[in-house]
Amino acid sequence: METTTATTNAKELWSGGDSPFRVSYGKVMIWYFLISDTFTFAGLLISYGAIRASHLPHQDNNPLSWPNPNDVFKAIPFIHAEIPLAYVTFMTFTLIFSSVTMVRAVQEGHAMNRKGVEKWLFFTILGGLTFVGSQAFEWSHLILERGMTLHGNPFGAASFGQLFFLITGFHGLHVSVGVGMNTWALTQTAKGEFDRRGHYEMIEKLGLYWHFVDLVWVFVFLVFYLL
Amino acid sequence: MSDLSHDEMKMRVWRVCRVLAFITAFEITAALLYYYGVLPFSKIWLDILYAILSVLKAYYIMSEFMHLKYELKPMTITILTPFLFLVWGIIAFIWEGSYWLSARELWNSHF
Repeated sequence: METTTATTNAKELWSGGDSPFRVSYGKVMIWYFLISDTFTFAGLLISYGAIRASHLPHQDNNPLSWPNPNDVFKAIPFIHAEIPLAYVTFMTFTLIFSSVTMVRAVQEGHAMNRKGVEKWLFFTILGGLTFVGSQAFEWSHLILERGMTLHGNPFGAASFGQLFFLITGFHGLHVSVGVGMNTWALTQTAKGEFDRRGHYEMIEKLGLYWHFVDLVWVFVFLVFYLL
Repeated sequence: MSDLSHDEMKMRVWRVCRVLAFITAFEITAALLYYYGVLPFSKIWLDILYAILSVLKAYYIMSEFMHLKYELKPMTITILTPFLFLVWGIIAFIWEGSYWLSARELWNSHF
């Protein structure tokens, strides 16, 4: 349906005075930023692929082979039991759920419902903080208790630790920046800034960024925890 | 913009959430079953399945959460076409990486 509108109105769309994509300047630009950021992450993940392919698959007691993620990631905070991949499952669900709450914030913004935006943004920030906190736990556990550093680790090839800290660190930085920007947006919402502007487009733009962070996690989760 | 009502969009979001959660739960279950030796086949089949499911999750996030399904088609095309380069990148660099491995093994077998 949208496509027919696009073709019949093509002349009108490209004759100037209007956005060709029927999307505001700011939203097109955040999309272009996200495309460039995708290539940054893709560069890192493709390097991972090349380096991993240059190592042997996992073999017990071979320090040059690639570690088995089920042996590496099995700690759970506050509990002494060790279950492979249990905690990262929780982290993944947290991020998916915070993406959903962000969509809800955007939808309430469309409806110009300030209280709704505040509520769902708050849950999104909470989800982001839980995720970053979980990452801090995972890092400190791996560094302090399991002895995984940039120089080597007890599970296998040293490159595994180097790539893990580089890529999850870069992703965690994105989450932290997102939490900061969402907190700023929450204070602006509470002050009524977006009601004064007459639209909640800022929440939409932050939403695009936040979903992108979730999108990247899908692939970070894939390469480090599943493959 | 979409022509769905506020309530319909709300329901849609929770449905996508359930789909993403289900796929993730399925992946984890498969990983654990394989780890404990229940699944008899080679890991490569599981890896291919994970890759397909991850692309599926990416599709849901981009089309529904990032609203790409409801934008005009030229915009969707503008955003998605650059990613074709990644297909080349993934194939080329994994190929290169496995060449490093065989080159090193060849070197080690001679010296």
